[in-house]
Amino acid sequence: MATRKEYKIKLISKELLNADTCYLGFECPEIAGTAVPGQFVNISAGTVFLKRPFGIASVDREKGTFNIGVKIVGKGTEQISKFETGMEVDCLGPLGNGFDFEGFGNVILTGGGTGVFPINFAYETLTSLGKNVTVCEGFRNASQVILNKPGYVLTTDAGDTGIKGTVIAGLDTLNITDPSGTLICCVGPIPMMKAISVWAEEKNIKCLVSMEQRMACGAGICLCCTVKVKDDGPDGFKNVRCCKEGPVFDSREVVWQ
Amino acid sequence: MSSSLNVNVGSVNLKSPLILASGTCNFGRELSEYYDLNILGGISSKGLTIKPRNGNPGVRVAECDSGMLNSVGLQNPGVHYFIENDLDFMKESGAAVIVNVAGHSFEDYVDMVTTLDLHKAKIDALEINLSCPNVKAGCMTIGSDPEAIKAITSKLRSLTDLPLWIKLTPNVTDIKATALAAQEGGADAVVLINTLMGMRIDIRTRRPVLTNNTGGYSGPAVKPVAIRMVAECNQVLDIPIVGCGGIADYKDVVEFMIAGASAVEIGTACLVHPALPVMITEDLDKYCEDNKLQIKELTGTLQRW
Ligand SMILES: Cc1cc2nc3c(=O)[nH]c(=O)nc-3n(C[C@H](O)[C@H](O)[C@H](O)COP(=O)(O)OP(=O)(O)OC[C@H]3O[C@@H](n4cnc5c(N)ncnc54)[C@H](O)[C@@H]3O)c2cc1C
Ligand SMILES: Cc1cc2nc3c(=O)[nH]c(=O)nc-3n(C[C@H](O)[C@H](O)[C@H](O)COP(=O)(O)O)c2cc1C
Ligand code: FES
Repeated sequence: MATRKEYKIKLISKELLNADTCYLGFECPEIAGTAVPGQFVNISAGTVFLKRPFGIASVDREKGTFNIGVKIVGKGTEQISKFETGMEVDCLGPLGNGFDFEGFGNVILTGGGTGVFPINFAYETLTSLGKNVTVCEGFRNASQVILNKPGYVLTTDAGDTGIKGTVIAGLDTLNITDPSGTLICCVGPIPMMKAISVWAEEKNIKCLVSMEQRMACGAGICLCCTVKVKDDGPDGFKNVRCCKEGPVFDSREVVWQ
Repeated sequence: MSSSLNVNVGSVNLKSPLILASGTCNFGRELSEYYDLNILGGISSKGLTIKPRNGNPGVRVAECDSGMLNSVGLQNPGVHYFIENDLDFMKESGAAVIVNVAGHSFEDYVDMVTTLDLHKAKIDALEINLSCPNVKAGCMTIGSDPEAIKAITSKLRSLTDLPLWIKLTPNVTDIKATALAAQEGGADAVVLINTLMGMRIDIRTRRPVLTNNTGGYSGPAVKPVAIRMVAECNQVLDIPIVGCGGIADYKDVVEFMIAGASAVEIGTACLVHPALPVMITEDLDKYCEDNKLQIKELTGTLQRW
């Protein structure tokens, strides 16, 4: 039975978060109604050939709307940033597997860069579930800090706001009393996630990471987006699809490059 | 869907000329979440090898104007896993089952066809991929040499009664020579075309975008090359042609059929719009109705200047 669709989603709001990042709101009750944190959408980006993947940053299930945050890095994101409210774009979603918080009383959400968008959705979801949530985010400098909320542990490489240092310096300030009941969910640049997964392993805390890879379809049919995970086979690893088996993986399964 | 979309590729009857191209639909399961696969003429499986393959490392897709390069490198679960886990699903979908066969050597293709022949009741045709540009040996190396094509096709012909469709590479000087070699070897049809070998460079790093350096170009941009090759081969072949390359709407299907294709495969466009075949099928139905014709009447009706 066909259950998935490509939707025409309508842009209903747009704001600039900093010089090169914007926050877009779209209307699509189907996506808003079913998406879970860690999932993403694949949307048409103007004249470029392929769709572009973006983590879901927030949903309003009642209004049937959802948000994504887009950092301008190239032609597609540049065109998305120029979308005007009221226009409709093609979109697939929600795609991939999100974070599974089941069985954990405490959740640490951590990362940086465009990872703050899925972290925001996870934060909103977990607080509404009444879970104990800690957020620790790292940025290059104060001008990069976006979607920051009171109570978040903040680090910057430049030290012009928050704790000076990497996100690890922020994580080190946390007082973790129940490692086995604690889950770390991590979204950010690969080197940052790799460092966090090492930190988590030392502390015996389960760590989920949201991987990124260049995608073509986002729907699991082209095998362009693979991520290396550990495997018992002859190669010692297996390539699995970031868009289908991921983007969220247990950090201990990932073969870091 | 009406019977006006019925076509034949040799002995294989298809309820529609539209087949999903190998490597752009996996084994159909993911797309069955988007639409009923029963509307399709056929599904061509991801390229299979005897042993599982992890494919190429790193970045495997580079976008281009009106298309993309891929360097997946035949990642697949191996033919035995396929037979156990995916073949029944494909059979039950209601679309014709085309199994795409790849290899690194003559012996690989022999092993593959021998293995698949044991399951012939569930297979409608074998698509012999002599054209993948993304693996170091086999495939395209064999597929550029008419003598090798003829030799391998006649060997495989002796191993199975299943229809043999030989999928050829456009990366040759004379496509007629390779297509004729397939025919002489006993092929039931040729599939034209696989991807065109290409490269993209990141000008900031001066490195190729693809970690494999090169990849196969597909999508709307390659359509004129494919149409030319179908039309050229149609002038010299007696066996049917399955057209492929850049199809994105019903007019492209009609164009391929006029050029000489008996059926067509659609690939890259479905990566952008997974349910595109639904729309194309509806449009083809309407085209047949408006023009009061059976789609198969179009095949090879090109009027050259
Ligand atoms: C699952 C997933 C979730 C994502 N979530 C977000 C998000 O919430 N917000 C956001 O701003 N971005 C996100 N991205 C990254 C975003 O998809 C890319 O930045 C975007 O596709 C680039 O398009 P472009 O046309 O502007 O860049 P292009 O012109 O295609 O490329 C410009 C440069 O951007 C980089 N780039 C391109 N594609 C990717 C990619 N898929 N991953 C990493 N780097 C890439 C490359 O270095 C490239 O050289 C996500 C990517 C994935 C795979
Ligand atoms: C991501 C990708 C993977 C592919 N894998 C295979 C494959 O395994 N075997 C094969 O014969 N062709 C493969 N192809 C080629 C397609 O089947 C088709 O011949 C080609 O892409 C041209 O058609 P299109 O422009 O409609 O995509 C692949 C193409 C793409 C884009
Ligand atoms: S992007 Fe196509 S399989 Fe993941």
